[in-house]
Amino acid sequence: MELNMNDILLFKTDIRTEGDKRLIAKVMQEYKIANWTVDQDDIDCVLRIVSSQLKLHDVINLVVHNGYQCEELT
Amino acid sequence: MRIRDVNKVELVKEKAIELLVKVGFEGFTMGKLAKECGISVATLYIYYKDKDDLILQVGMEETERMGVLMLEDFDPEATFAVGLRQQWKNRAKCMLENPLSVQMIEQLRTSTYQEKIFERLIETFKSTLGRFMHNAVQRGEIEAMPLETYWSVAFAPLYNLIRFHNEGRSLGGKPFVLTDEVLWGTFDLVLKALKK
Repeated sequence: MELNMNDILLFKTDIRTEGDKRLIAKVMQEYKIANWTVDQDDIDCVLRIVSSQLKLHDVINLVVHNGYQCEELT
Repeated sequence: MRIRDVNKVELVKEKAIELLVKVGFEGFTMGKLAKECGISVATLYIYYKDKDDLILQVGMEETERMGVLMLEDFDPEATFAVGLRQQWKNRAKCMLENPLSVQMIEQLRTSTYQEKIFERLIETFKSTLGRFMHNAVQRGEIEAMPLETYWSVAFAPLYNLIRFHNEGRSLGGKPFVLTDEVLWGTFDLVLKALKK
């Protein structure tokens, strides 16, 4: 199935360790965000979310609120 | 809706193979790849979830492409000499025309990606080549032998010639270019070794 590229949201974060990732996993679960990954090999720890409902600022607010940096990856 | 740009995906694939061969898995980063391609890192993340996903997808697609080329026009029901000659022809062509892919696949073969990437391919090869060998034994063209023995005698000489060729040197640093004469001369010896 072809993804709609407008549904792919990309962020620069500091979700760097396994512990960070576990914490974010809980948050994602709580907000029923299923389709997300963090590239912890990357210097920018890129958070990638596929969703047709979420907006960029929703995710930024959510992640920042939980104590991590999060800005749009351009 | 933006659509997946096929040319860009092909460019990413080509550059990813180059970069993997040049810097290895450890040195490979999405940032370096984006720079090589002249695109933004964000674009890479549209196509791939992360570095692992990228290496797996590129590795799988390339391995599959090479697998198809290697079995092109090969009929497992053919006589032993005809079938083996076709395989030598396909393998030589495929490996000489895609030296970077060959190197990347060799790197993958000894990596943690190995299992996921080669699982499917090995099944196809095992069943097709297994049938070919079985037919040759049934017809009394070759002795029964373990698949590993067969594989080593049938293909290791070819792979070695190609390695010499790609490195441009043979034993003791002597310059080497693989000619048809050397290739098929070696093939005849392999055929002689395997045939009853």
